[in-house]
Amino acid sequence: MTAYILRRLIATIPVMIVVALFVFFLLHLTPGDPAAVIAGDDASPAEIEGIRRKLGLDRPVWEQFGVYIWNLLHGDLGTSIFSNLPVMTLVKQRLEPSLVLAVATLVVAVAFAIPMGVVAAWKADTTIDRVVMGFSVLGFAVPVFLVGYLLIYVFAIQLRWLPVQGYRPLSEGIVGTLRSIALPAFALGMAYMALIARITRASMLEVLSEDYIRTAHAKGVATRSVLLRHALKNAAVPIVTVIGIGLALLISGVVITETVFNIPGLGRLTVDAILKRDYPIIQGLIILFAGAKVLVNLLIDISYTFFDPRIRQ
Amino acid sequence: MTMATTVPAESTATSKAGQSDTILSVRDLRTQFFTRDGVVRAVDGISFDLNRGETLCIVGESGCGKSVTALSIMGLIPQRAGRIVGGTINFEGTELTTQTEAEMRKIRGNRISMIFQEPMTSLNPVLTVGAQIAESLSIHQGLDRRAARDRAIDMLALVRIADPKRRAGEYPHQLSGGMRQRVMIAIALACNPQVLVADEPTTALDVTIQAQILNLMLELKDRLGTAIILITHDLGVVAETAQRVIVMYAGRTVEEAPVEELLRNPKHPYTRGLIGSIPRRRTAAQRGRPRTRLQEITGLVPSLREEIPGCAFAPRCGFAVERCQLERPTLDIHGASHRAACWEVARVTAVPQ
Ligand SMILES: Nc1ncnc2c1ncn2[C@@H]1O[C@H](COP(=O)(O)OP(=O)(O)O)[C@@H](O)[C@H]1O
Ligand code: SF4
Ligand SMILES: [Mg+2]
Repeated sequence: MTAYILRRLIATIPVMIVVALFVFFLLHLTPGDPAAVIAGDDASPAEIEGIRRKLGLDRPVWEQFGVYIWNLLHGDLGTSIFSNLPVMTLVKQRLEPSLVLAVATLVVAVAFAIPMGVVAAWKADTTIDRVVMGFSVLGFAVPVFLVGYLLIYVFAIQLRWLPVQGYRPLSEGIVGTLRSIALPAFALGMAYMALIARITRASMLEVLSEDYIRTAHAKGVATRSVLLRHALKNAAVPIVTVIGIGLALLISGVVITETVFNIPGLGRLTVDAILKRDYPIIQGLIILFAGAKVLVNLLIDISYTFFDPRIRQ
Repeated sequence: MTMATTVPAESTATSKAGQSDTILSVRDLRTQFFTRDGVVRAVDGISFDLNRGETLCIVGESGCGKSVTALSIMGLIPQRAGRIVGGTINFEGTELTTQTEAEMRKIRGNRISMIFQEPMTSLNPVLTVGAQIAESLSIHQGLDRRAARDRAIDMLALVRIADPKRRAGEYPHQLSGGMRQRVMIAIALACNPQVLVADEPTTALDVTIQAQILNLMLELKDRLGTAIILITHDLGVVAETAQRVIVMYAGRTVEEAPVEELLRNPKHPYTRGLIGSIPRRRTAAQRGRPRTRLQEITGLVPSLREEIPGCAFAPRCGFAVERCQLERPTLDIHGASHRAACWEVARVTAVPQ
């Protein structure tokens, strides 16, 4: 078990090294003078020279790389060109809304999708099943922004239950935060709900035809317990895998959702940095997002051991 | 022509020792599956009685409806695929075919248990074997967690698994096939059932441990007073274990008799075929190889998708006459407790085995 986790942990190191390399050379692989690229078309030679010195581009590449890695290992992601603030500071300012949105989206998606998938599999080929699967096709096909505007129209503008947009930080009270995040989480969660419900159904259907499910029935186990205790845990590995993939994809979804609902999170930071060509921010965010994906994958791999004893060896 | 008289099935149950002797009584059971290609008549009018503490063997080639008979008794026919379309299953005065699912759940694993053919896949891979035994006990006997766990360990000891305490915490993949089948036996017997249905419990096991598992089952059965329906396609097993035997063919009973009578004096051509196909004396080359399956009767098991008007065995039968194609043979009495469904018993028995 510990050996398994250790192996997985070690396997993440090369991935992170490749990401760091890629991010570092991102700037150097762009055609032309990186300082000129960053400075933009109408910058004077003096401005370009300033940027070059600021980013250390006048020093040898290997030295730059060494410094970059050294800083990374100390949690220094560089400094924004335009605001002159450390990238880490900017990220910290924007982290909370994005994190809350991501977690809320995941909770909403999983909480609805798994019961939906389980019931659909249990009642396969009935009306309930068809309704659930119909919804899951729809949830997948309709884009996030459309669902977002629809939810805003119904729940914020017509019913006035929830705020139209914006974000309330946790420091002002969790109820406000939850109210501000509810619609974005549902808008973004819809597609994941569809995806997870679908895979839950498929995985459950497969498990329900297994011999050990028949054994459970032969023991007189109640239906509920057959589904949850005997079947779901066996069906968990593919479901958790898809949740993990969903979580990784969530990042691009967060960008769109933050725009629709005007939430000042990492998504907005990313968009702004790209528009301004603020390379250090872009580089820092790539490292962070990649790190988050690697971490999620690691957690998913470790969670397998919880669901399936055969992986523990 | 035969001298037999047709006897209504009801009378055989009470013929010997009075009603209380019979614990399970199956009458004209018919179970069908509804597939895209048509109706499969998997069980097509089976009747038999099981007495208290008795070992009844059901024998026949694969595909003749043995497992479906067992699943019908358990109420475990997959609902979407098929159902019991006729007949009755009486268990200690309770009619099982009309019980609700909730009522059946109280009987299953408690008063009637089943052991399946596939020990490798019949246990849940993500639950410890201790938990899987304990589950039956907490469902049916209301034992709390600790008591159920202790009882589960006792059951593992009862089925002679060494170091039961440690094994109880292990998962099925850590156990051999033989041990898994022991666990299945422990699960089945945990609540001390009156009836145990064992569907080819040793077929999937290594030849060397088949006898061990079989003996264990029979020993526990004697100790607990459980009646067993032992399904097998191995007449060797039948000879060693059964008190009474039912020979099934194409979803029907073709012969029924006490074991010695059946083996010494088979009256149905199909039974004779089965007995003839047991390798008697194994040659040096055959020894050490697993026993051959019962496939030496020429011809194939008929498709159960078409209604068979006459005798289902007719296409493979050397005694067949025209009547066999047209009229379904009735299960008639031919001697004490011996019944056979064949129009030509007199001619068949005139030929020495
Ligand atoms: N779920 C099912 N759907 C359709 N046909 C089935 C199903 N289960 C069993 N059958 C059919 O019922 C017949 C009897 O099968 P079975 O009872 O398993 O035979 P066996 O005597 O080998 O145990 C076979 O023809 C089989 O194809
Ligand atoms: S009834 Fe006819 S076909 Fe059937 S077993 Fe007897 S002799 Fe053979
Ligand atoms: Mg079978």
